[in-house]
Amino acid sequence: MSAALARIPRPVAALLLALAIHLIGMALIRGFGTMFGIRAMLVLATLLAIAAIGQTLVIIIGGIDLSIPFVIGFANVTAAQLYGDGVPFAVVLPLVLLVAMAIGALNGLVSASLAIHPLIVTLGTGTALQGAVQLWTAGFPTGAAPSYVTSFVSIGGSIGPIPVPWLIPAFLVLAALVILALGRTVYGRRLYALGSNPRAAQLALVDPVRTWTITFALSAGFAALTGVLLLGFSGAAYARVGEPYLFQTIAAVVIGGTTLIGGRGGYLGTIAGALCLIELTTVLVGLGLKPPLVQATLGVTIVALVAIYGREAHVRELI
Amino acid sequence: MSRWLAGRAYLRLAAALFVVLLAVNIALNPVRFAPASLGVTIGLASGLILAAIASMPPILAGRGGIDISVGPLMGLVNVVVVRWLVEGLGIESPFLIVPLVLLLGLLSGALNGLLATVLRIQPIVATLGTSLFYAGITLTIVPSPAGTVPAWIKALAGPTSILPLAAVALLWLLIKRLPFYEQLLCVGSDDRAAYTAGIPVTLVRFLAYVLAGLIAAVGGLCLTGLIGSADPNIAGTYTLLAISAVALGGVSLAGGRGGLVAAVLGAADIFLLQTALTFFNVSTFVLQIVYGTVLTVAVVLNADRLRQLLRRRRHA
Repeated sequence: MSAALARIPRPVAALLLALAIHLIGMALIRGFGTMFGIRAMLVLATLLAIAAIGQTLVIIIGGIDLSIPFVIGFANVTAAQLYGDGVPFAVVLPLVLLVAMAIGALNGLVSASLAIHPLIVTLGTGTALQGAVQLWTAGFPTGAAPSYVTSFVSIGGSIGPIPVPWLIPAFLVLAALVILALGRTVYGRRLYALGSNPRAAQLALVDPVRTWTITFALSAGFAALTGVLLLGFSGAAYARVGEPYLFQTIAAVVIGGTTLIGGRGGYLGTIAGALCLIELTTVLVGLGLKPPLVQATLGVTIVALVAIYGREAHVRELI
Repeated sequence: MSRWLAGRAYLRLAAALFVVLLAVNIALNPVRFAPASLGVTIGLASGLILAAIASMPPILAGRGGIDISVGPLMGLVNVVVVRWLVEGLGIESPFLIVPLVLLLGLLSGALNGLLATVLRIQPIVATLGTSLFYAGITLTIVPSPAGTVPAWIKALAGPTSILPLAAVALLWLLIKRLPFYEQLLCVGSDDRAAYTAGIPVTLVRFLAYVLAGLIAAVGGLCLTGLIGSADPNIAGTYTLLAISAVALGGVSLAGGRGGLVAAVLGAADIFLLQTALTFFNVSTFVLQIVYGTVLTVAVVLNADRLRQLLRRRRHA
């Protein structure tokens, strides 16, 4: 059974799983499969998938990025505050993205050049960043997103007759670009090379410090983008809005079959993983479980899923 | 002493920071650090110190070993003791509560060990799963702070606060006399070589998680004394603080390098930093900035690679 399961490509397995959860939800919960419900799940899964782009790239090179939730919060609050103060949004967005990417670049640079585990570096810079943002806004951020950002991500939005907000097609283009970049560009191949064997990659003239710096900068950039989109989604700024994304991005990546050891996996799996997580959460909430029990069930499910198809090799197979 | 330190260069920074921060704290607040109130002060720190010690064995075991569930397990111990044992079953005797708490820690550690080493789920994912599970169960048992605790548990955060720390230190000294300790460091430095040399790698790693669960449970009991009630929202933050403490103490997250003193020093540094800053009445936001910056700067200064780079420059 597990041998047969292991032969299914992991993104496909995760997608099938999301579909299965959806069917279970339709069978058990009245009104689960309605258009509105599906649209809501699509938007939520898309936001998670965008936040998880960076986590996917970073995990492929063998790192991990714990600063994602803090960067999301930073972008969320800063964008609202600046736009509320009258700065045009065309200035706000690039500014927020650039500052976030600078912080991400610092994460990658420090981790790679000094061989410090990125877990600690990203945790340190992320915590300091969140403190700084909260200090600046005194804990009570004001401001909002421009109305076109709100309608861009709105669950009720539509493109002409198609009942999805513009976020969805825009994300499909972005996802295609990420998948292309991973599979068909020199940068993508460098990520896999560094992730599977850093020493061999260096001998093949891949510069690890440069690649790590670029990748962590990208990760922070996508996190900041998520923060701005979340501002449009929820309407008000909140410095801790990114908190659920710490573990959800890692979970989406892992369920999608990208291994934390690095060098294997891809973004298609992460999208499927994000769909799985959102479907599962929605079904559990729909079944009337209280948030703590939803959390407990998610924990068990993540472990069970990875136990079925995400196991590591035994040490004897590594010799 | 100097020979002991020679093999532990990674401790230097944490030790120096400890001396400086302790001096600053004593200068700022002599009353709190007077011998008479030492019990209370240690009681304030013991939860974090024990969480840091608990995080250490899985990290020492290498290949991505880490236990994220330390904090949530402490929270679970807290609510299980207050709500189920004390309120539910009316048990107040330490001779019943302590063994039951230790049993809960052992079982939780064994569960993490089973998932991470026998089932071979990546440790961060396996313990993330158990974390979410424990945090959810904790909130379900006690949705908001409630309950009281027996006097002897409260005393664990006061006059007798040194007891649990001493017990764990003794346990660690005992472990260092066993072959298991050397095997743990071997597995952490190079698991393939250790496996080839006949060390039961899976068993050693499994035991590292069991140890983590056991020590975290003791930490949960100390935390219960400190809070004096069941509070589902406090312990969750301990995981990241504990891992920061361990890194600050110079323990390599790649495995194979570290020890009890490193974890204790790192945790004490974070605690002293917090008390010094709260003395100035700064907001939690400033606390967060300073804490994040100190953590980042400390690991940078402690990096082997930095030392190599500097040495190369000096020779050139």
